[in-house]
Amino acid sequence: MGQNYLDNGWISILITLAMVFMVLLNIMRAHNVKDLFIRRIAGLNAIDEAVGRATEMGRPVLMVPGLTDTTVNAKTMQAINIFAYVSRVAARFANPILVCCYNASTYTIAQEIIRDVYQQEGLIDRYDVDSVRFISDRQFAFAAGVAGLILREKAAATFFMGEFYAESLILAETANSVGAIQVASSTEMTQTPFFIAACDYVLIGDEFYAASAFLTRHPVLVGSLIGQDWCKLAIAGLIAIGVAANSFQLAGGSHNTTSKAWNEGKFDTLPKPKPFGAGDTTLSRWLNPDPAKDIKIERPQLPPDQIPSGGGN
Amino acid sequence: MIDIAAQLVPKTMWNAPNNSTELWTRIVLALLVGIALFVGLLNAPIQLRKPIIFTVTFVSGLFYVLFWLYPAPINRQPSDGPRNTFEALSFWISDSQGVIADLTNIIASFLIGLGIYSLMRVHIGKIKKQQRDWEFSVVLVSSMVLMVIFGYVDFYMRLQPGNSKMAGSGYVGWTFWQFGKDLLFNGLLQNMDAGMFSIVAFYILSAAYRAFRARSIEATILLLTALVVMLSLMGLVEFYWAQGVDAMHLSNNFKLDNIARWLRGNFQTPAIRGIDFGVGIGLLAMGLRLWLNLDKTGSDA
Amino acid sequence: MATNDPIVKKDFAEALQSVPKPVLYLVLFLFAGLPLFFPVKLPNKPIDASIDCFAQLMSLPEGSKVLIASDWTNSTRGESMGQMEALLRILMRKKIKFVVYTVADPQAPEVARFTIRKVAAEEAKAGGYGYKPFQDYLVLGYYPNAEGTTTAINNKFLSICEGKKDYPEDSPPMDVLRSPVLQGVKSVADFKDLVLVTASSTNTVVIERVTKVPLIFMVTGVMVPENTTYYASGQLKGLCGGVKGVYDLETLMEYGLNVDGPHKITSDKYSEVIPGFPGKQNEGKGTAYYPSLHFALFLLIIAVVAGNVGMILAKRRAG
Repeated sequence: MGQNYLDNGWISILITLAMVFMVLLNIMRAHNVKDLFIRRIAGLNAIDEAVGRATEMGRPVLMVPGLTDTTVNAKTMQAINIFAYVSRVAARFANPILVCCYNASTYTIAQEIIRDVYQQEGLIDRYDVDSVRFISDRQFAFAAGVAGLILREKAAATFFMGEFYAESLILAETANSVGAIQVASSTEMTQTPFFIAACDYVLIGDEFYAASAFLTRHPVLVGSLIGQDWCKLAIAGLIAIGVAANSFQLAGGSHNTTSKAWNEGKFDTLPKPKPFGAGDTTLSRWLNPDPAKDIKIERPQLPPDQIPSGGGN
Repeated sequence: MIDIAAQLVPKTMWNAPNNSTELWTRIVLALLVGIALFVGLLNAPIQLRKPIIFTVTFVSGLFYVLFWLYPAPINRQPSDGPRNTFEALSFWISDSQGVIADLTNIIASFLIGLGIYSLMRVHIGKIKKQQRDWEFSVVLVSSMVLMVIFGYVDFYMRLQPGNSKMAGSGYVGWTFWQFGKDLLFNGLLQNMDAGMFSIVAFYILSAAYRAFRARSIEATILLLTALVVMLSLMGLVEFYWAQGVDAMHLSNNFKLDNIARWLRGNFQTPAIRGIDFGVGIGLLAMGLRLWLNLDKTGSDA
Repeated sequence: MATNDPIVKKDFAEALQSVPKPVLYLVLFLFAGLPLFFPVKLPNKPIDASIDCFAQLMSLPEGSKVLIASDWTNSTRGESMGQMEALLRILMRKKIKFVVYTVADPQAPEVARFTIRKVAAEEAKAGGYGYKPFQDYLVLGYYPNAEGTTTAINNKFLSICEGKKDYPEDSPPMDVLRSPVLQGVKSVADFKDLVLVTASSTNTVVIERVTKVPLIFMVTGVMVPENTTYYASGQLKGLCGGVKGVYDLETLMEYGLNVDGPHKITSDKYSEVIPGFPGKQNEGKGTAYYPSLHFALFLLIIAVVAGNVGMILAKRRAG
C-alpha cells in the first residue's frame, strides 16, 4: 500500500495527533492536581459586577452566542457555556435575561441549557421561556432585531461571545448608546478591533476558550487549558526549528543552486541547475505533500450500471 | 414538473435509481425508522439520555475524524472499484461525505421550524395582547408570510417549461408574482441589508473618536500605527509623501507605503498568526472535549 | 422642560472631546457622499498583493477555466461588486469560461447573476464577446453547509454539480453537467484558479480544505489583515482587499504592469511587461468609490486627532 495512500501529508497529521495527545494527557493529569493558577481575565471578573448592576437598575442582561451559520459548532457551545454561568448569576439575582439566537439549532440548545441552569438553582419559576429567542438567520435582520431589543429593553449588561462579523459594531455601539456594560469576544480576528473600540471588556483570541476553565475551575477544563499551553509551546518550538533549518538550507542566497527538483513523489534531475528557493527546502517538501497525480493504480473495474456520474476524486 | 425525490445516476449504498421501487421502499423505511427513533428518544428514561447523546456525538464525530485522517484513495477513477478491504473503507468514506453533509442540512431544516415557532409565539402573543410596540410584530409576521408566498410562487413559475424567458434580463414574461418577489427581495430586503451594513461606517467613526485616545504608552503606539496605516491607504497623501524620494536612497524606507508594509509584515501579520494559533488550538481542545463527552457544559459545571 | 440647573458652557478642550454623534455622522455623510457626485481621479500606487492578483489573472491562457466562489451580497456591494466586476472584465476579455458557486448566503447567486449579466452586456456593447449563460458560464447556486461542500469541491468536484440546473438563454433549466463549461472538467484541478470573492468567513473554509488548485482571494477591507497572513505565507497567489484593492486592479487594467508611459507601474517582483486593457472600460466601482474612502479616512484621522488634542489640552489645564 505505502505511498499510494499518502495523499494527506503525514507530518500535518502527526502534529495534529501530537496536539490531541497533549490535551488528553493533561486532562487526565489535572484530576490529581489541585489549585492550578490561571491568570486573571478582566472581562470574566466583570460578569458578577455587570449582572449586579443590571439588577440594581432593574434592566435585563442580553446575551448573543455569535452568528454561526446553519448548525451549532464548538464556538457556539463555548459561548453558551459562558452564558450558562452568566444566567446562573442572573437567576440568583432574579434578574431578567435575554438570549438572542441567530440560528434555530443554537436556539434549541441554548434553551435547554439555560432552563437546566434555572432548574439546578431551584429557581425554575423565575425562568421565562421567551428569554431565549430565535431572532433571524439573516445577518443584518438579526443585527436590526437585536439592536431594537437593546434599545427597547434598555439592556444594562450585554455579552457578545462567539462568531461575529460585520454586525459586531452595530450591536456594540447600540449597547454603548444605552449605557450598557459590555463584555465581548469574537473568534473572528477581523471583529476584535471593533469590540475593543466599543466594549468595556474584550476577551482576545483563546481567552475565549479559557473562559470556562477560569469560571468553573473544573479539572477537565483546567487540564485542557494546560494541554493547550503545551501545544502552543510545541508550536513555538517547531517555528524555531523551522527558521533554523530553512536558514541553514537557504544560506548562500542566489549562489546556492540545486539540480534536483521534487516532482510526482521523487527527485528529477534538472538539465540546468536552478537557484535553491524556499520551495526546495526539506521542510517545505514535508509540509506541502505532492498529490502524485500521475501514479496509475490498477483497480478492478465496476460494471457500467454501477459507475457513479460524479467522477473520481 | 418537479421530479420529487429524484436521485442521481448512482451507485453508492446511499442512493437508488429514479422513481424505482427500491428508492420508494428506502424512503418509506427511512421515514418509519425516523419515527421509531423519535418516539424511542421521547420515551427514553432520563438516565439513558446522556449515553445516547454521547454515542450519537461520538459516531458523528468519528466519521469526520476518519474522513480527515484515513488515507484517501489516490487517483480514483469513476469506474474504479476498491482493491481490498482497506481501500473499500476509504472509498466508502469518500462516497459518504456528501450524504453526511446533507444529513446535517436536513436536521438544520427541521430546526428552522422550531425557530419559526419561537418567533411566532413571541410576536403573535405580542399582537394578541397589544403589548408595547406590537405594530413592529405585525410588520415582521406579514413580511415573513409575504416573502414565503411570493418566493415560492415565483420559484414554481420559473421552473415551468414555457417560462424560460423569465430568468433573463428585461422583465420578459414577468407577471404580478415576479414583480412582487422582485420588489420584496431586490427592492426591499437587499437594500435594507445594505442600509444596515452602511451604518457600520458611522459607528466606526463614533467608536474610533471615543476610543482612540493616547491614554497610555500602549494606546499611543496603537494610535500612531493606526494613523500611519490609514494615511497609507490615502493615495493623495502617499503620492505627495513619496515626491522626490530616490528609490536607491535611504529615505526610500520612509515612504508611507514602505512603512505601512513594514508594520503589516513585521507586527500585524505575526500577531494575527500568534492569535490564530491560540484560537485554533482552543477550538481543537473544545472539539475534543465535546466529541469525547469530557466537556462539562455550563449547566453541569 | 425648564430646570434650575446652571447652563454649563463647554470650553474648547471639552468641546473637542465631545463632538455630538449626530454632528459626526452628518459630516461623515457629506465627506463620503459628496465625492460620489463630483468624481475625481486620485493618484494610486497598487500594493504587492493586488499586483500579484492582477498578474496571476493575466497569466491565464485564453480558453482556460476558472472556478469562482461568490460569497457576497448587496450589503457589501461597495467592495465586493467592484471586485467581481473587475474580475469578470479580465476573464471575459481573455475568453475564460467560469463556474460560480456560493456557500455563504442564499442571496448571493442572484447578485452574482445580476453582476455577470451586467458586465457581459457592457462587454458585448463595447464590441467584445457577449458571454452567454450555460454556454460560457455556469451559476451552480447556493449550497448550505460551507464546510461539507468545500470539502466535496476539493475531493470530488463533479459531485456538487450532480442534480444542479442552470438557465441557458431562452430555454428551460438544464442539467449543468451538459454545459460546455464543464466539458473536460473531471476534478477541481482542471480549473486554473479558484477565485473567492467573499465578505464572509468562507475564506478560512477554503484555505483549510482546497489544496488542488491555486487560490486568489478578493475580500472586504476589514478582512485584509486576516488574509494577509495567508498571502504572506504563499497560500494565496493574489489578494485583492476592499475598495483600495479594486482601485488597484482598475489602475493596473488601465496602465498595465511595467508598461512605459507617464503612469508606469512597477514592481520589484515582476520584470516582465504585463499590458492591461488600455482604451477599454476599466474604471468601475473602485475608481468611483475610492475618493469616498479617501475622504472618510481623512475625516476619521481628523476626528481622532481632535479628540486627542482636546484630551491633552484638558490634562494640561488640570495640571
